[in-house]
Amino acid sequence: MNVQFKKGVLELCVLVLLAKQDHYGYELVRKISDRIAISEGSVYPLLRRLNKDGYFSTYLKESTEGPSRKYYKLTDEGRTYLNDLLQDWQAFTDGVNQLIEEGV
Amino acid sequence: MKDLSIALEKFPQEERSEILRDFEEHFTLGLEEGKTEEQIAKSLGSPNHIAKEMYTTYRIEQVEGKATAGNILRAVWAVIGLGFFNVVIVLGPFIGLVSIVLAGWVVGVTFIATPILVLLKIIVAPETFIFFDLFFSVLIAGLGILVTIGMYHGTKLFRNGLVRYLKFNAKLVKGGMAHA
Repeated sequence: MNVQFKKGVLELCVLVLLAKQDHYGYELVRKISDRIAISEGSVYPLLRRLNKDGYFSTYLKESTEGPSRKYYKLTDEGRTYLNDLLQDWQAFTDGVNQLIEEGV
Repeated sequence: MKDLSIALEKFPQEERSEILRDFEEHFTLGLEEGKTEEQIAKSLGSPNHIAKEMYTTYRIEQVEGKATAGNILRAVWAVIGLGFFNVVIVLGPFIGLVSIVLAGWVVGVTFIATPILVLLKIIVAPETFIFFDLFFSVLIAGLGILVTIGMYHGTKLFRNGLVRYLKFNAKLVKGGMAHA
């Protein structure tokens, strides 16, 4: 799939996953890469950016096995941002789908 | 991991260790799932690319915090580094706009300085003095002050616009997907 296209979607995926519950980085990467082909390393820059923009907060949590994990939590600001993105996405896909239906 | 650490050299120590921490966590959890280090590294993608993306974010953030000329230049440079395409689409307009802003400032300051030139002329060649020179130079100086005030606001506007554009561009051009 087109590169530019998937970029914005990646952001949306991360936000949607976090809207449901807090996740740690590895979990987010795995959940997304199970469904779409991404270069996994790019999730981390994205997480950093959204964190700095104030859409997430982070906290460390010890786990019974392995290292402590950095969890990401959606802030209120992040939730508002997600809703905006979802609306854009909805309008966008509706438009494209209609065009496809008319075309094929 | 080592490659990434090297690629992150341009970051301040604190940021760098934080980023490396995140990736170490990723590797540890991957290994626990039974993947090999090579597999994990491969699906992460190019360390250089990751570092570049993070560096751009970091640079833009610096400009937002403190918009000094140096910070702006480094941010523009980082964004340009994201792709060849950006050399054209960022560097060109950037140079053009900076020239306009610079020209505006030069005009403003020179206009303000005209009465000084008239005074100099009076000292050097008093016999050629006419009042018109004085009046006219004061008029120009007034104009210069207006232009300078305008440029002050214009520059601020330009700076904010630039930051917004860099952010937008970084988001758009930044890699991210497999097999770009």
